[in-house]
Amino acid sequence: MTIDILFIWTAFKEIIRALPITLILTIFPLLAGFIIGLAVALIRIYKVKFLSGIANGYVSFFRGTPIIMHIMLIYFGFPLLIDQISKKFDLGIQSNSIPIILFVLTALSLSAGAYLSEIFRSGIISVSNGQMEAAYSVGMNSFQAMTRIVLPQAIAQSIPNFTNIFIGFLHTSSIAFIVSQKEMTGAANIVASTNLKFLESFIAAGLIYWGLTIIAEGLSFLIEKKATAYNRGGVQ
Amino acid sequence: MIYLKDIKKSFNQQPVLKGINLKIGKGEVVTILGPSGSGKTTLLRCLNFLEKPEEGIVQVGDIQVKSKKATKREILSLRRQSAMVFQHYNLFAHKTVLENVMEGLIVTKKYKKAEAKRESELLLEKVGLGDKHNYFPSQLSGGQQQRVGIARALALNPEVILFDEPTSALDPELVGEVLSVIKAIAQEGITMVIVTHEMSFAKEISDRVLFMDGGVIVEEGSPLEIFNAPKEDRTRQFLNRISRDFSVSFLEERAN
Repeated sequence: MTIDILFIWTAFKEIIRALPITLILTIFPLLAGFIIGLAVALIRIYKVKFLSGIANGYVSFFRGTPIIMHIMLIYFGFPLLIDQISKKFDLGIQSNSIPIILFVLTALSLSAGAYLSEIFRSGIISVSNGQMEAAYSVGMNSFQAMTRIVLPQAIAQSIPNFTNIFIGFLHTSSIAFIVSQKEMTGAANIVASTNLKFLESFIAAGLIYWGLTIIAEGLSFLIEKKATAYNRGGVQ
Repeated sequence: MIYLKDIKKSFNQQPVLKGINLKIGKGEVVTILGPSGSGKTTLLRCLNFLEKPEEGIVQVGDIQVKSKKATKREILSLRRQSAMVFQHYNLFAHKTVLENVMEGLIVTKKYKKAEAKRESELLLEKVGLGDKHNYFPSQLSGGQQQRVGIARALALNPEVILFDEPTSALDPELVGEVLSVIKAIAQEGITMVIVTHEMSFAKEISDRVLFMDGGVIVEEGSPLEIFNAPKEDRTRQFLNRISRDFSVSFLEERAN
């Protein structure tokens, strides 16, 4: 077996056409997860009655099981649930008319929410208690103190962690292929098996992922530098 | 102005305040002295409910709160009667010096931004930081940070300013600049409660000195009475310990 260097470029052009799906599968779950994660983190920090039990269970389950399993459970479980409910209330919704990507997005969003909630929680806890006390001392209520003083610092300090999760989810989006979503790894598989050039196709896919990751890291570095400028001391 | 009745507070069943009664009049400058663990900081923090007393009544200005059934709203309006200067400054780390002072004006006093800015600039001028508006707290020395903390407290125009050991985290050479700012505002007739270990400062600035030990106010009086003629043994022992340099040299002299 020889390696066909030129075919890497052919595969590259073919695979990169699936980039939009990969980006959707990465960015949407992270945005949804951002909201879920923030809510869950606050519920757990403030130990909100009843809800904090649910939040604990949610985080424990979704961090305690592989993401591929969430996709499977939701892909096979939700249609069953939706059809049952639809039948019961006569809603006329048919699960097989729902695009598969919605199931994948749901599963990934729930996973992202669980991981991000821990990042938010650690970020919030890392802001010193004195900041909260100072906010109270100037007459803020808990909500103002949280949104104006604590969260901005917590989020700024969590940027490297957010980047980590972004990169993780960029790569995790590849498992959507198992429920026949044609994102980049799926595209690589197809190019590989139709041309019987596996090594070349996956080298091409690998290069694209790597490139995206480098771009993400670069952006993150710039944003972090700007967002945490307050913490660096020194003289202007 | 300030009225405390039978304030009790404990941490892990360890009583820290054992029933404090206190009245402070408008414009009075009161310092609280005492060994560490005597409950002086806790008492100060009870005044704005950063510590919630288990029992007793706290009144600042017109707002009276019964500790046992204090609602969130009551605590908020009690807090808005006072401002606090912290031992570790606790400036808002992600905000510039100017924003730190403006924050309270905008959020709680509902000032317009331009108005808050003008007011804050005046106050920063007053504490000698007119040239540091756009610095972040991390770029300032401890003494400068604490002066920002004082400006932030002054901006609220509160009934009372609470000082929690405002100079004990500072390098010795920076203590002076902070104390002189505090002295200047004391002369303006603002009510102040100060927890401090700076004896000569306390002597100079206070209208009244409280000496606390073991969760109670052991003795109170004018600076002259407390420093020159303390009635209680515990006060005397404390003052001796604090001015050990003096006593050591005194003992050495005697030994010779």
